[in-house]
Amino acid sequence: MRPISRRAVLAAPVGLLAAGRVAHAQTVKPRLTVITQWSNGSEGASITALGKKFEERGGIWQHSPVPGFTTDMMNKLRAQILAGDPPACSQLKGPEIAVWSKIAPTVNLDGPVAAAGYEKVMSADLAKLHKPGGHWAALPIQVYRTNTLFMSTRAMDKAKITKPPTTWAEFNETADKMKAAGIASPLCNGGIRWDDGMKFEICLAGISPTAYRGAIMELNPKVLGGPEVHQAFVQLRKLADYMDPNVAAQHWSTFLPRFVSGDMGMLLMGGWVQGVLLNSSGFKQGDFIIAPGPTDNGKPVFVINSDAFIFWQRKEPDLTAGQALFAPLVMDPAIQTMFSQITGSIPVRTDVDLSGPGWSDGQREASKTLREAVAVNQTLLSLGHNMAQPNDMTAAMLDALTEYVHNRAVTPEQGMKRLNEAIESAS
Amino acid sequence: MTSQPGRAALRRVPELLVIWVPLLLSAGHVVVFTLWTTWISFTPSTLLPEYGWVGFRNYQAILATQNWKIAFNNLLIYGSGFVLLSMALGMLLAVLLDQRIRGENVLRTIFLYPLAVSFVVTGTVWSWLLNPGLGLEKLVHDMGWSSFRFDWVVDRNMAIWTIVLAGAWQASGFAMALFLAGLRSVEPDLVKAAQIDGAGPWRTYLRVLLPTLWPIMIAVVVILLQFAIKTFDLVRALTGGGPGISTMLPSLVVYDYMFQRGLLGRGSAAAVLMLLTLVAVLTPYAVWKRWQRRQAARA
Repeated sequence: MRPISRRAVLAAPVGLLAAGRVAHAQTVKPRLTVITQWSNGSEGASITALGKKFEERGGIWQHSPVPGFTTDMMNKLRAQILAGDPPACSQLKGPEIAVWSKIAPTVNLDGPVAAAGYEKVMSADLAKLHKPGGHWAALPIQVYRTNTLFMSTRAMDKAKITKPPTTWAEFNETADKMKAAGIASPLCNGGIRWDDGMKFEICLAGISPTAYRGAIMELNPKVLGGPEVHQAFVQLRKLADYMDPNVAAQHWSTFLPRFVSGDMGMLLMGGWVQGVLLNSSGFKQGDFIIAPGPTDNGKPVFVINSDAFIFWQRKEPDLTAGQALFAPLVMDPAIQTMFSQITGSIPVRTDVDLSGPGWSDGQREASKTLREAVAVNQTLLSLGHNMAQPNDMTAAMLDALTEYVHNRAVTPEQGMKRLNEAIESAS
Repeated sequence: MTSQPGRAALRRVPELLVIWVPLLLSAGHVVVFTLWTTWISFTPSTLLPEYGWVGFRNYQAILATQNWKIAFNNLLIYGSGFVLLSMALGMLLAVLLDQRIRGENVLRTIFLYPLAVSFVVTGTVWSWLLNPGLGLEKLVHDMGWSSFRFDWVVDRNMAIWTIVLAGAWQASGFAMALFLAGLRSVEPDLVKAAQIDGAGPWRTYLRVLLPTLWPIMIAVVVILLQFAIKTFDLVRALTGGGPGISTMLPSLVVYDYMFQRGLLGRGSAAAVLMLLTLVAVLTPYAVWKRWQRRQAARA
């Protein structure tokens, strides 16, 4: 009998371990840890559906929703990054992608993006946000237009209005008509900071997209003190006068029943309203119509709010496999179709056909506007939804704007001055 | 026999463990995190803590913001309004309850009950009551008095007073309980002596009973003031800091900077400023307490 060598005895367990490792790597199941703010309503439904698709393709979906505003989700993200345990993927949007990609390493997604031909089919402004330092680190999944006008059909009947206004002058005329017909507050509103800030954004984008780009996206002091911004403040004061003064510090969605019943006539809000009206409030397509926000220069303007997933570097093979499986999924036209049909948004890809029965007229119109706005370079990034500036700058600007909306004693000139001061002190 | 004191000491070990371990843990928590926050307030930290040194730049920046100015101004209004109103209401209730009336226990429970409700619930309920389109104003309108106006909650100049109102509703029961205990602990002989001397009830309260209450009053002021400085949830639920940013309080500014804007350095500076406000309130109280103790020892 041959004696077993000492080396063999030592090698055996090592070999076994290695074999196990190899076997494990071959059968590793892709797994994805995800943090988003989407927990319920149409948002929750959409992320759940996305997770199902991920599982159908053989992955393990581990989603931890952090309900509330985006910043609440970010606190959880920060805690996990501090602990050295970032999720494989999380929701993040706008300029914050660049800010956050500096504090923790992200996955380079250039390969998958090129493979999907993703960059060619989206707005250049939007693409830039997702490739800090020239490399893709995040993938947008859906786009909303913030400058969207929802009109209550009952209020239109009451005031004998047949079509939505297209310019700000027409908008004011329509609101006055509604007032005359007994609708005390023709503009449906909540009273939260970003909501007030978004009203300003819609005013300025409609008055002059060029001025919006200079003032809000580039913070050019000359434009910020210019006549277009002044005009936007004047229009914002008008909007404030059309609002119900009894509404303060409440979410806009609280007033949807009053909007549908015709007690409030028009709502300036992003496309997500459709998802809320149809999916969580039980209203019907005929209760409201959707139109683009008023624009004065006759060409389509599209103010973008977009949600994206950022991919954080992980070493675990199952998590990297999960990321590799998830990235193409996010860019897939069929997946974007499914996602947008639930939330009421439109796909990031401008090459998706929206003629199918799952889409509403509002979505078709928004998608068409996006394509046209990209062509005439009138896509803008939303201020109220943290797309134009990082969070600290946005917050400083929103403070000045919400004060202006709620304080009638502030003149448009003073409002402009305060906005400029806020920008100066935050930069 | 010699082991007796040793055994006695051994028997005390569990007691010592039960008292000292949690005490040290919680004290350590407070002290360590206070020091850490103070340190962060001198660093350029934004999203994550960084350990550079920027001196007082965060303090200068925070003190220059409109938000902090509004918040601090509101704290002065709210702090004094809340404390004075709670104490006045508490005292009134205590004196009325002190009249040996029937059903005192039930009434006392009712008045103390708001304290059992959290500030979030208080804020939410009051935001409905005060909303002109839903609450009090609408009720009075529906009853026929259509010119009645009570829209403080949506009026940016008056909104801070709604917070005073809701806060006082909640805290006056607490003041009442302490005052009532104080009134009851006054020597009955003293009251009788006053009555024999011909003092009416009004005079008895004003000259005899209330002066004996002042140590309790100071305690109530201090407790309520530190309540006021910490207030966060009440404002969040009642006005959300609005209309605009007109009802911001320092604690909301801290939260806003730290968690909404991702400016840890600025937020920490605001937190330290809040701590200093608390210290400014508590130090005179501690000094006074000490002085009082020394006087008592001398007597």
